[in-house]
Amino acid sequence: MLFSRRLMLGLAMAGALAFPALAGEGPTDIELFFPVPVDGKLARDMSTLIKEFNDAHPDIKATAVYTGSYDDTLIKTRASIKAGKPPAAVIMSANFLLDMQIENELTNLDSLIAADGSSKDQFLGQFFPALSGNAVINRSVYGVPFQNSTPLLYINADKAKEAGLDPSKPPQTWLELTDWAKKLTKRDGDKVTQWGIAIPCAYDYCGWMMETLTMSNGGRYYNEEFGGEVYYDTPSMLGALTWWSDLVSKYKVHPPGATPGPAVSTSFISGNAAMMMLSTGSLTYVRENAKFNYKVAFIPRNVRNAVPIGGASLIIPAGVEADKQKAAWTLIKWMTSPEKSAWWSRATGYFAPNMAAYKTPDMVEFLNKNPDAKTAVEQLDVAKPWFATYKTVPVRKNLEDEVMLVLNGKKQPKEALVAAQKAADETLKPYNAETSLKLP
Amino acid sequence: MRSISRRGDMSLAEPAALPVAASAPPRLHIVTRFTSRFKASLPAYLLLLPSLIFLALFTYGAMGRVLIDALYQRATPKAPLRFVGLDNIAAVLADPAFTGAVVNNLIYAVGTAIPSIGLALLFALALARTNAVTSALRAALFLPVLIPMVAASALFLFIFLPNVGLLDYYIGRLLPVLPNWLGDPDIALYAIMVITIWKNAGYYMLFFLAGLQAVPEDVMEAAHLDGAGPFMRLRYIILPELKPTFLFVIVIATLNAVTQVDHVFVMTKGGPSNATNLVLFYIYQQAVEHYDIGMASAATLLTLAALMALTALSFRTMANREGGR
Repeated sequence: MLFSRRLMLGLAMAGALAFPALAGEGPTDIELFFPVPVDGKLARDMSTLIKEFNDAHPDIKATAVYTGSYDDTLIKTRASIKAGKPPAAVIMSANFLLDMQIENELTNLDSLIAADGSSKDQFLGQFFPALSGNAVINRSVYGVPFQNSTPLLYINADKAKEAGLDPSKPPQTWLELTDWAKKLTKRDGDKVTQWGIAIPCAYDYCGWMMETLTMSNGGRYYNEEFGGEVYYDTPSMLGALTWWSDLVSKYKVHPPGATPGPAVSTSFISGNAAMMMLSTGSLTYVRENAKFNYKVAFIPRNVRNAVPIGGASLIIPAGVEADKQKAAWTLIKWMTSPEKSAWWSRATGYFAPNMAAYKTPDMVEFLNKNPDAKTAVEQLDVAKPWFATYKTVPVRKNLEDEVMLVLNGKKQPKEALVAAQKAADETLKPYNAETSLKLP
Repeated sequence: MRSISRRGDMSLAEPAALPVAASAPPRLHIVTRFTSRFKASLPAYLLLLPSLIFLALFTYGAMGRVLIDALYQRATPKAPLRFVGLDNIAAVLADPAFTGAVVNNLIYAVGTAIPSIGLALLFALALARTNAVTSALRAALFLPVLIPMVAASALFLFIFLPNVGLLDYYIGRLLPVLPNWLGDPDIALYAIMVITIWKNAGYYMLFFLAGLQAVPEDVMEAAHLDGAGPFMRLRYIILPELKPTFLFVIVIATLNAVTQVDHVFVMTKGGPSNATNLVLFYIYQQAVEHYDIGMASAATLLTLAALMALTALSFRTMANREGGR
């Protein structure tokens, strides 16, 4: 008994000693960190994808490592960079790229693109133009779009018909939307039994929705060219926040307070809210759970049709060795190819960033069966980049804290935006000190 | 409890007895005495070594690192780290988000400790006798302790869902306007507190049950014969006997109030508008969202100092009271 245990231990140690010697000749081992913002099914889809990649590439052995939410993935990536063992590739929330580039945590992909004999324009030309804003920093490519989304207006078509509205002609302006929301709100005395519209507001979602409303009101939210400026205290954002606040307190057609995304989608699915604004990423969830006819539409405009993108890109962290970089680049190109991009889109509900994905036969058939998925793609024509600044999350929170106060009726929009601007300027100060305010 | 405290007295007395034996030895002998004493206790040190190594690596090492990190800061994102002394601590103290988190944490600590300890005592008194029914009830009350905080928070997310959640479904019919439990800064902190009370009361009940076992039967009988009613027995016998349990549970409850933030993380992320931001979550925000290790370390040091002071104070009070008996 004792002998055999010793023998096993010896064998195990011999194996451990022999292994590094073999590793030099075997396939290149790489790790891919990936977040799953929705549910467990996506993790299975990801392992299917990676297994297929490994079978097709015997010289590379990729391992997919599930790293939690988008925020958790950033934490874990940063921790592994600090520990000197970064993963070869990461699926990173698209608006974290600028922040990481400022902190020198990203590998510039230009030389890898050039090594393929391709130009930057050719490479980026495969993807929807709206996506390059979050992938290119200072004219260098740092990320490759992988799964993307835009906000959509979801309408409960049955309730609309009930209220005498035509769901095939969804509201196109804020005026029409306000009118729809009023007609779709049901009251029992003072108590609201059915809300006309719900827009999510929790940290992360709230900033994205503010960007959506501000952009459809003609605004920009942030400086796309430079990470040290946001435009919170502006007429375009004031209009956006005032309208949102009016829906809550003046027209009383939107539930009060800050409501997170999942609560909004549950409310819509249960029929408690007749319309909602939510990501295209929720489309699969709504399709599978709604027990009524629904309709998706563009986000209505006040000044112009414009929405931000959301989602994630593939990146290579700084400090990855050359051979692993090359292997990671092979993986990234494979994952963002038209076929794989299309497959992932159908599995998740995100739209495929690679334009050629929509010409694959499987995708054409899928869109014919699910015309609602088409709306998200069509809206891309008016999509703009996702806000990204120095310290994106705190700068976003500076605004979100104030918006939450307004939605709870504790502050007036103007007063809130002045406070948000002041706080954000303070957060951005160190970056401006070494860029825009560093003078000769 | 009484027997335990007596044993405690004895061990406290032991070190005092030792110096008596060492009555003015010649100076020369000090070294040999020291080595011989060291030799004698060598096995003890060897036995302690493994845990000392791990404590050093994972507790004291980390604390030392925090101490160092708290003294450094970058002026601009690309600038190198430089020594700033106590600037980080001053910056944390001047941050309204931190002071807000401290105030929230105080409300949270008091508002969760008192009700959960009160409930725990009530449960323990009601279920002190062991029979089939009380065992079942004890298990039922202890159940929330077994559910991981993250899972419990996910459950309560559904219960608190505005308009369609369980709570609004039943209570909502009675209220004129449905509250947004987690989305209204006036209510959110209290909603979070309810979960903590629900989760911890059963755990504290265990300590009180153990404490009640130690209430001497003969004293209770004597009181009964002397005509003391249930209230008198509670007031003059049971509660004084439970004093050490109370002190211990209060310390645990306070530590929990600072170290348990899983539900804040899952349910509100400190929102809306920082209404549920607690100190530990503030530290997380500084480290992760702001990526500012200096500020996060400074806030950690302040919290650690406060917790250690509190624990030391409580245990000293406990020792004093024990010694006085």
